[in-house]
Amino acid sequence: MNLKPEYRLKVLINEVFNYRRAVVGLFVVVNVVALILGLVWPKGYSSSTTILVDDKKIIQPLMQGAAVATEVADRARLAREVIFGRKIMNQVLEDTGWMAVKRTPEEVGEIVEKIRKRTSIASLGKDIIKLEYRDDDAERAFKTTKKLAELFISESLGAKAAESQAAFDFIDKQTEEYHDKLLKAEEQLKEFRTANLDARPGSDVDISTRLNTLQTRIEQSAQDLKEAEVKKASLEKQLSGEAEVANVLSREGQYRTRIAELQSQLETLRLSYLETYPDIVRIKHQIEDLNEAIAEDRKARSAAKATGRVTVDDSVVNNPMYQQLKRDLSQAQITVDTLNARISEAKRQLQQELERGKRVHGGEATMSELTRDYQVNRDIYQDLLKRRENARVSMNLDREKQGLTFKIQEPALLPLEPTGLRFIHFVVGGLLAGILLPIGLIYAKLQAEPRIYVGQLISEKHKLPLLAIIPHMWSPADIQAVRREVGWLTLTTSITVLVVAAVSVLRLVKVI
Amino acid sequence: MSKIEKALNKARATGSLRIASPHSDQTEGDKQLTTTSSSSMPVSANDIEQRVSASALIARMREIAPLDRHALTQNRLIHPEMGENGTVRAFREIRTKIIQKTQGRNCIIMVTSVTGEGGSSFVALNLSAAFAFDAGKTALLMDCNFRNPFLHKLFTARNEPLHGLTDYLENTDIDIADIIHPVGIERLRVVPSGGRREIPAEYFTSIKMKRLLDSIRQRYRERYIILDAPPMTESADTQIIADLCDYVLLVVPYGQVTDAQIDACAHAIGEKKLLGVVFNNERVPPDLGWRNLLRNPLAFIARAFNQ
Repeated sequence: MNLKPEYRLKVLINEVFNYRRAVVGLFVVVNVVALILGLVWPKGYSSSTTILVDDKKIIQPLMQGAAVATEVADRARLAREVIFGRKIMNQVLEDTGWMAVKRTPEEVGEIVEKIRKRTSIASLGKDIIKLEYRDDDAERAFKTTKKLAELFISESLGAKAAESQAAFDFIDKQTEEYHDKLLKAEEQLKEFRTANLDARPGSDVDISTRLNTLQTRIEQSAQDLKEAEVKKASLEKQLSGEAEVANVLSREGQYRTRIAELQSQLETLRLSYLETYPDIVRIKHQIEDLNEAIAEDRKARSAAKATGRVTVDDSVVNNPMYQQLKRDLSQAQITVDTLNARISEAKRQLQQELERGKRVHGGEATMSELTRDYQVNRDIYQDLLKRRENARVSMNLDREKQGLTFKIQEPALLPLEPTGLRFIHFVVGGLLAGILLPIGLIYAKLQAEPRIYVGQLISEKHKLPLLAIIPHMWSPADIQAVRREVGWLTLTTSITVLVVAAVSVLRLVKVI
Repeated sequence: MSKIEKALNKARATGSLRIASPHSDQTEGDKQLTTTSSSSMPVSANDIEQRVSASALIARMREIAPLDRHALTQNRLIHPEMGENGTVRAFREIRTKIIQKTQGRNCIIMVTSVTGEGGSSFVALNLSAAFAFDAGKTALLMDCNFRNPFLHKLFTARNEPLHGLTDYLENTDIDIADIIHPVGIERLRVVPSGGRREIPAEYFTSIKMKRLLDSIRQRYRERYIILDAPPMTESADTQIIADLCDYVLLVVPYGQVTDAQIDACAHAIGEKKLLGVVFNNERVPPDLGWRNLLRNPLAFIARAFNQ
């Protein structure tokens, strides 16, 4: 129904009048319900406290990497878990006077449920938890809130300390285990090494180097041997062609050589000087002297020959060449023998090394496995040692209450004014809703129904001649009945309002 | 004007013109109506003479004892004593508009509602009564709503069985005069639906029906014939009855019909025959006399709770 405002109000008034009984009935019902709700609604004193959870204290950057701070992802959820736990709840019941009277377990359960419902825990930002508790007793609200916050803090810290203690214990146990393993591995390695002294890491390299050296040495020696043999053969050959003794040049020969020399000097001098030059004369004399000496020597020699005596001067000496070759040959023989001995020694060593190599290869596989085990265990053990120290520091942090701290930012206060929905809200709300709800419903009905409530619309919308709008015919009896009805309805409304007012006044003077 | 006065004087002298109601309101209203009708169209001397004679005829109509106010109220009938009541004013308005439209000639008007419970019988009855307010006019109301007849309720006081339209159409022995009954309102005659509730639609198309309407119309020059027909959306007869009539008056009840229904009905009737639309039963709160509350609160409250 899309009506112009002037029609809308008129139709609304008409319809409200038509549904007058329902309107008044709804008014009464709404008010009574609101009144009852207002009376039974818990008065609602609420006390709140905010807890600052600070895990970024100065210790944190200092201990970076060394200690692991407990992660708190959703603090409110965590707080809820902790606070609503049986332990804290029981403590709160004890301390806030709920248990002053003896109660059955069922009652206790109900009270706990009630406290849970009335407690709201919310995260205000990252590090602040707001804890709020509503109660109809102001003092109890205050006490409960305070107690909840305190218990939450102590419980959280305790839990954290226990957690880091558990972590430390675990790591410690692991460390011990690995320590044992490491010891065992070391022992095994030792035993193996004792059994296989050769088997050291890198032995095979040693062996191969040594093999190479020996090989080279053998080759070198063989080469030398071959050379020495060739030399020996050659010396032997030469020795066979050489005379054992050789004639040494006689004194005569020496004289002649001297003469030749002097002759040559004379020739040189004659080129420059005359025959009379002293030097030339001297040389001539010398040559004559020498010639005489030769003649004498010949004489002596022929005399000796005749007697058959050997003169010293004119002896047959052993051949020096022969002697030299003989010596060389002997030397070559020694060399050949030495080289032969060396080669055989090297071959023996080579054989030995090869055998050793075989032995080493067998042990190396076992050795590397043992070593690997040992290394792995050692690495883990070292890592665990480091971790254990970290855990110890973390544990100490928590024990000293240094890691994650809780601070009550805003302490709980004793609420003086009730909060939340109060009685007056219900009364005013009831009166307003009592009026607005029926009118709203009627308005909604008019909006939803595409029916014609205004006569003028027929001529306006459908262009049909509207002869007349006939109002409902109220006979005097009808009017009287309506008047009576309106009277009763007014009376009902008035009584309702009066009752609401009276109850409000009673509530105000705290009778109810 | 002088001629009218002369004629009226003459009628008064001969006693043929009888002012039915002693109430001044009604006389005034009727006078007003007369003047409006006479001023809206030129009336010849002959016409006036005829009207005077018609009035004389009407005045001689046989009447039974008039219904008392209680009976009128019970049947939700308007009467001149109601004064400046909104309902009375509305019906007078309709009457005036009809007379303007028909230019004073009598006619057959069918009153139908868009939906059932639309109040077409109420409108038809009161419209007839409004016509009958005028001493110079008479109205005849015919109940054609056989499924849900209404007019027989007017005769509950009388125990004698009354012949109605269905009886007439079925039975040749019954005369027109036998089915037209006075109801205790001056100048208003009524044809009830009759004994049988179901008659075939063919009866309406019969010559007998047509002849009945013609003869009723011609009986009095100033007689307005009003047919109370079943709702448009509920009966096919309505369309047939509409063909017999000069005009159709469509009743739109308050808060019950949609735009589409009105459009459909207006279309079915046709622009030519549709006299107009009456928005019925607008639920305005009655005047409860709140003024008295301020003037004399105790008395008002006492009156409110007194039986």
